[in-house]
Amino acid sequence: MISTAWSFLRRNSALLFVSVVFLWSVFAIVSYRKAGVPTGTTIQLRIGHWQLEAGVREAFDRMAAEYRKLHPEVSIVQDAIPESSYGTWMTTQLMGGTAPDMIEVGVSLPYNVLLGYYSRYFVPLTTYVRESNPYNRGTPLEGVPWFKTYRDSMRSGYVGEIQQYMTVPLAQFGTRVFYNKNLLRKLTGLAEVPHDYRKFIQTCETIRSHLDEQGRPYTPITSSGYHAGMWDGFMSAPLTYGAVRRVDFNRDGVVGSDELFVGFKTGRIGFDFPPFEARFRMLRQLTDQFQAGFTGLGRDEAVFLFAQQRAVFITTGTWDAGSLVEQARGVFEVGIMDFPIPSRDDPEFGAIVQGPVYENPGAGLPFAITRTSKHPEVALDFLRFIGSQKGNEELNRIIGWIPAIEGASISPVVKAFEPHLEGVFPAMPVDGLGGETSIKWGQQFALFQVKQTSYEQMVAEFQPFYLTRGTEELAEAQRNRRRAVVGDERLLADARVRALAEVGTNAVSLWMKYRGMTTGRLINRNLVTALLQQRLEEGVVTNAVGPYEFSPDIVARVRARLAARDKEGR
Amino acid sequence: MAAAAVALAFCAGCGAGRGGSGGSPAERLARGWERYRLGEFILALKDFEAVAQGAESGCSNQLAALYAQATTWSLRRPDEDKVRAERLYREVIALAPTNDLAVWSWLALARMKAAPVGGEIPPLPPQVEAYQEVIDRFPSHPAGEEAFFHQQAARLEQPDEARTREVLAALETFLGTHPQSPWRSTAYGLVGHCCAVLGLKDRRLDAAFEAFRSAEIDPASPPSARDMSTFYWQVATLAEFEAGDFAMAREYYRKFIAEYPREQRVFVAKQELKRMDELEAQIRRQEQP
Repeated sequence: MISTAWSFLRRNSALLFVSVVFLWSVFAIVSYRKAGVPTGTTIQLRIGHWQLEAGVREAFDRMAAEYRKLHPEVSIVQDAIPESSYGTWMTTQLMGGTAPDMIEVGVSLPYNVLLGYYSRYFVPLTTYVRESNPYNRGTPLEGVPWFKTYRDSMRSGYVGEIQQYMTVPLAQFGTRVFYNKNLLRKLTGLAEVPHDYRKFIQTCETIRSHLDEQGRPYTPITSSGYHAGMWDGFMSAPLTYGAVRRVDFNRDGVVGSDELFVGFKTGRIGFDFPPFEARFRMLRQLTDQFQAGFTGLGRDEAVFLFAQQRAVFITTGTWDAGSLVEQARGVFEVGIMDFPIPSRDDPEFGAIVQGPVYENPGAGLPFAITRTSKHPEVALDFLRFIGSQKGNEELNRIIGWIPAIEGASISPVVKAFEPHLEGVFPAMPVDGLGGETSIKWGQQFALFQVKQTSYEQMVAEFQPFYLTRGTEELAEAQRNRRRAVVGDERLLADARVRALAEVGTNAVSLWMKYRGMTTGRLINRNLVTALLQQRLEEGVVTNAVGPYEFSPDIVARVRARLAARDKEGR
Repeated sequence: MAAAAVALAFCAGCGAGRGGSGGSPAERLARGWERYRLGEFILALKDFEAVAQGAESGCSNQLAALYAQATTWSLRRPDEDKVRAERLYREVIALAPTNDLAVWSWLALARMKAAPVGGEIPPLPPQVEAYQEVIDRFPSHPAGEEAFFHQQAARLEQPDEARTREVLAALETFLGTHPQSPWRSTAYGLVGHCCAVLGLKDRRLDAAFEAFRSAEIDPASPPSARDMSTFYWQVATLAEFEAGDFAMAREYYRKFIAEYPREQRVFVAKQELKRMDELEAQIRRQEQP
C-alpha cells in the first residue's frame, strides 16, 4: 500500500508539484484580495491605472475611503501597473474579461487599436455626462450637465470617431521649470529666477562659473533626451509661430507639414525665415547650459543630478511635481517658475517673440468603465464622486495635480502650472512629411543638439534632400490619405444604417450627424490637397503675399472704406 | 430607481456584441451590425447570411441582410470582395428597385468606382457617370443629393480651372433649385473652394458666410460636434485679408474670442484686432495733409 502510494507520488511528482503551487497561488491571491476588503462590503470595484507617481495611489485610496463613508457597501481596490507594461496588461485584461471596473486608457497603445477597444470593451458615457452630477449639489455647479462642469468642457473625454463620450478625465497637466532655491541663492545671490530670457541665460552662466566641493562645475540646467524636447517645445520652437502668416494656406490657423513643404517648394518660406533661425539660436543657447552628453541620458539620470544638488534647473510636468518636492524634502527648497521668455527689447529675439506659449487646457487621467463590470452603475457613481467639484479638488489636492473641474481650487504647489490660454505655438513641422525626411531631420537635429553641426551646416545637409525627397513624400502622404478613405466609408455605412433604422427626432439628429461626417470625411477630404497642388503647379513665386498678410489691393480697399465712412460722417 | 435604469441601460449595452447565433431576424441583423462595428466581419456575415437565407424573397429583412452583406464585402479589410459586393447590391436593386436600400445601393455602386487603387486617384469619367446615374434616377432622394456632392468633389480633386468653373456653375444651380436642402452648407463650402482656386475673393467670403449661416445644428450633439470656431475663423480671416472688410472681420474675431476663449487661435484673433486698428490708424495718418 505504502509502496503503491510512493510509486504514484514518484510517477506524478511534477504534476503534484504544479498542482500544489497552483492551489497555493489561488489561496494566496484570494487571501490577499479578501484581506484588503473591509467588512460589510457587498460590492467591490477595481480601478486600474499606470500612475505610480507619488501621491496618486494614496489619493485614490483616500477618495475610496471617503466614498465608502457615503456608501458603506462599496469598497474600491487599485491595480497600479507600470507604464512600460500597461498596454499589454490592459489588453490581456480586456480580452480575458478580467479587466477592472474602471480603467485608465490612452497610453502604450496605438490610437487605432484604442478606437477598437473603445467600441468593444467600454461603456459609452454620453447619456450620463449630459446629466448633472449629483455630487455637485450645493455648489455653483448644481444642475449643470456634467460635461459642462469641466474646464475643457470634457472635450478630452469625447471620441470623435465613435461620436461618444468614452472617458471621464480627472486632472489637468502642465509643464514648468523647477529650481533649487538654496543652490540658486548660494551660487547667484538671487532669491527668485528672472523671468526675462536674457537675464535667465546670464544667471545660468553665473551658475556655470562656480565649482562644487570636488572641483566640478555646476550644471545650470539638468537635461536628458526626455527633457530636451520640453525646453525646445516651450521656449525655442514657439518662436516659429510667425510661419502661420506665411503658409497657412487652408486658413485653419495652424501650419501642416504639407503646407510647410509647399511653402518651401514655392519659395514662400525657407530656413532663412528669421523665426526659424531664431529657434535654433535660442536652442543652442539653452543646450549650452545643459550637462555634457544630455541626449544620451534618461529621465531619471537628469532628476538624479537635480536631487544631488549639482544642477539648479530642471523642467518637467505636474506628474513629477510631487516626486521632486518629496525628494528634496528636508534637503533643499524647490521653486517652480514659468519658462522664461525674451522681452520685447531683447536685441536678439525681441522682434521675433510675440507672446507667451499657448497651453492646451485639455484634461488627462481619463477613466473608462468596462463592459465586463458587474456594477457599472456604481463605477459611474464613483467617477461622478471624484469628478465633482469637491471630489476632484480633494483628489488633486492629495496628488498635487491640477483639478479638471471648474471652480475646484488649486493647491499652492501647482498654482504655477495653471495653463496659459492665450499665446503662440510652434509652426515648423518640418519633420512630419514622411519617413525619410523625418529621419534625415532627426539625424541633423541630433547633431545640432550636441554641437557637431551648425545651423548653416544642418540646413545645407537637409534642405536639398527635403526639397527633392519631399515631393515624393507629399505624394505618398496624399496616397495614404486616399487609402484611408475605406475606414471612413465603413464608419459612414454604419452611421447610415443607424439613421435608416430610426424615426422621429432621433432620425433627424442621426441624419444630421451623417451629413456632417460625410461632408468632413469624404466630400471635403481632398480639397486642401487640391489647393496645395495648385500652389505647387504655379511654381516658385517672389514677393507672394501670405494668407495673413495685407496685399496692396486690401490696403487700397481699407483706404476706400475708411474714406466712404468718413464721407458718411460716421 | 434611477440607478436601476442606469444599470439596465448598461446591461443592454453590454449584451450587444456578445456571442450567440440565435434570435429573431431583427436581432440577428442588429447583432451583425454590432459585429461589423467591432471589425468581426466573418461573424457579421454569418448573421447577415442567416437572415437572408431564412427570409422571404423581397421582404424587408432579406433586403436589409443583402445590403448589409454587400456593405461588409465591399468595405471589410482585408479580404474584401468587390465583385460579390456589386452582385449583392444589384440583387437588392433587382428585388425592390424603389426601396430606400436599393437607392443607397445605387450610391454604393457609384462610391465603389471612387475607391482609390493603390492610393492613386481613380479615373474621373466613370465616377462622374456613376454619380450622374444616381442623380438622374433619384433627384429628390437623400442618396441622389449626396451623389451630386460626391460628383462635384471628385471633379475638384485635381486643380483645373475650366472644370472648377463648371463645378461652380453646377453648385450655384443646385443652390438656386434646392432652397431647403440640408446640404446647403456643404454646397457653400464647395463654392468657397472653387472661388479659392479661381481667385474670386469676395465670392469666397460670401460663400464662407453662407456656409456658416446654413450649417445644420443638431441640438442633441455634444459641443465638440457643434464646433463653429472654424466657420468664425474662416469668415474673419477672409473678411480681413481677402475682402478688406474689417467690420465683418472684427465681428467674427470677437465672436470667436467670446465663444471659444480657450482656443489656440484666440491669441492670433486678438493680434488681428490690433493689427486692423493699427492699419486703419496708419492709413489715417497718411491721409492727413
